[in-house]
Amino acid sequence: MIKINHLTKDYGQQRGIFDLTFDVQRGEVFGFLGPNGAGKTTTIRHLMGFIHPNAGNCSINGLDCGTHSAEIQRNLGYVPGEIALPDDMTGLEFLHFVADYRGVTDWARVEQLMARFELDARGNLKRMSKGMKQKIGIVCAFMHNPQVLILDEPTSGLDPLMQNHFIDLVLEEKAKGKTILMSSHIFEEVERTADRVGIIRDGHLVTVDSVTALKAAQRKRYTVSFASEKEAQSFSQESLTIDLLKGKEVTVTVNNFQPFVEAMSRYTITNIVAVEQSLEEIFMHYYGK
Amino acid sequence: MNTTLFMREVRSSYKLWLIFIAILAMYISVIISMFDPKLGETLDLFAKAMPEMMSLFGMGETGATLIEFLSNYLYGMLMIVFPMVFIIMLANRLVVAHVDSGSMTYLLASPNTRRKVAFTQMFVLLSMTFVLLVICVGIAIGVSQAMFPGALIIGDFLLLNLGLACLLFALCGYCFFISCISNETGRAVMFGAGIPTFFYLVQMLANMGGKLADLKYATIFTLFNPKAIIAGDTSAWWMCGALVVIGAIFFVVGIARFEKRDLPL
Repeated sequence: MIKINHLTKDYGQQRGIFDLTFDVQRGEVFGFLGPNGAGKTTTIRHLMGFIHPNAGNCSINGLDCGTHSAEIQRNLGYVPGEIALPDDMTGLEFLHFVADYRGVTDWARVEQLMARFELDARGNLKRMSKGMKQKIGIVCAFMHNPQVLILDEPTSGLDPLMQNHFIDLVLEEKAKGKTILMSSHIFEEVERTADRVGIIRDGHLVTVDSVTALKAAQRKRYTVSFASEKEAQSFSQESLTIDLLKGKEVTVTVNNFQPFVEAMSRYTITNIVAVEQSLEEIFMHYYGK
Repeated sequence: MNTTLFMREVRSSYKLWLIFIAILAMYISVIISMFDPKLGETLDLFAKAMPEMMSLFGMGETGATLIEFLSNYLYGMLMIVFPMVFIIMLANRLVVAHVDSGSMTYLLASPNTRRKVAFTQMFVLLSMTFVLLVICVGIAIGVSQAMFPGALIIGDFLLLNLGLACLLFALCGYCFFISCISNETGRAVMFGAGIPTFFYLVQMLANMGGKLADLKYATIFTLFNPKAIIAGDTSAWWMCGALVVIGAIFFVVGIARFEKRDLPL
C-alpha cells in the first residue's frame, strides 16, 4: 500500500505541497484529483523518489520512497504526466529496451498490451502522435505486471474508445488486488474506477471521500432544448430549479428526476445534454451542503 | 552496471564517435606524413621567424625525432582538443540531456538505482573515450611504421599516450560532474565546455612564454607535459597522478550529487 504522511515540499510563493496525509490500500483505486498546478505531480514525484520532501515522508509497501526507490520500482508501474521518449528509436525498439532494462522476460504480456490498445509501435518515436506515445507509456507501466501502479493523468491524449480500454485494464488490475493511484483533473475520468477520491487544491488536500459520497453530492444539471422559444419560456415556469433560460434552451438542476421527466413529457423536446461539472463546482457544492 | 543501458548508449552515440575517430585519423595521417627530418629544419625556420605564432599552438620546438615531432604537432593541440570536444558532447548526452528531456524518467522508473544508472553512464563515457584513444594510437603507430619504418620509439609513444589518457580522464570526470549536477543542457554546456576551453586558452597563452609563462599554473593542461614524459622525467608522472586524482574526485562527487539531489522529472 501507499502511505503519505505529512508530506511537505515548499517551492516558495505558496507553490508546492503542504502537509499531505492519505493512503491507498491494496485492491483499491485512489483517484487523485485537482486542477492543473495543484500539486498532483509533485506528490507523485515524491512517490517515485525523484524529489525529496522538506518534511514528512511517504512509503510504498513499507519502504521509504526517498531511500528505497529502486527496490520499490521493482514492483511499481508508472505512467508519467508528460511522456518523454528518446527520439532516436522506434516504438518497438524502445519497448524491447525497457523490457530488457527492467529484466522483463514475459514478452507475451507486452504483445497482449499492445494488441489491447491497438498499438502499432513500429514507427519512429519522434514521429508518433501524443496518443501513440501515451499508449507506449501505458505498455511500459504495465509490462512487468507490477503490484503498485502510479498513473499520472494516464488517459490524456487517448481517444474515448482507448480511454474505455484503459479503464477496463485498470478495473482488471484492481480486481487482482493491485494498489492503484490515478491522478486526473476531471472527476468523470476517475469515477468509474476509483473507490475513494482525494481532492488537492493549491497544494493542500481538501478532502478524501468515497466516490459514492462525491457523486451523491454532485449536482445534476441538464440543458434541455425545445422546439420553440415559447415552449422554453413556459417550461421555465414549471416548479423546477431553473438555472438559465436562453432562447430555446433551458438549463435545469435536477434533485429529483420524477417531476423533471413528467414536466418534460408535456413539451416538444429536441435535445437533452448533461452539463459537465468542473471539479471546482463539485467541490464547492460538496462543501456548500 | 546495467548492460542493456550500456549497449543502448553506445548505439546511440557511436556515429558521433566514428566522426571523431575519422577526423583524428585524418589529422594523424596528415601530420605523420609531414614528418621529414629535413622538413623539421624548415619548420625550425618558421619557429625562429615567428616564434609567438608557433608556440601559441604548442609547436614551439619541432624536434628531430618522430616522437618529438608528434608530441609537438599532435599532442600540443589536436589530440587534446578533439577528444575534449567529444568528451564534452558525450558527457552531456549521457546525463543532463536525459534529465532535461525527461527520458531519465524511464531510466529511474526501474529497479536500477540512481547510482547504478550513473555508473553505467560513466562507463560509457570512459570506455568510448579510451577506445577512441586506443584506436588513434593504433592508427598513429600503423601510419608511422608504414611511412617511416622504425622511426617511432613505440615504448615512449605509448607512455606519451598514457599521460594523455590521464588528462582525458580528468576531463571526463569534470564534464561528467557538470552533467550530473545540472538540470538544463544549456547551462551544462556552458560550464562543461566553457571551463575546459578557458583552461585551454590559458594554456595557449602560457605557451607563448615570457611573463605569460606563469599562467601555466592557472590551467590543468599543464599537468600533461609531453616533453617531460618523453624525457622520462618522474615529475611528469606525479602530474599525471594528480590528473587521475582530480578526475576521480569529480566522478565521485558528481555521482554522489546525482544520487541525492532532486531531479526535475
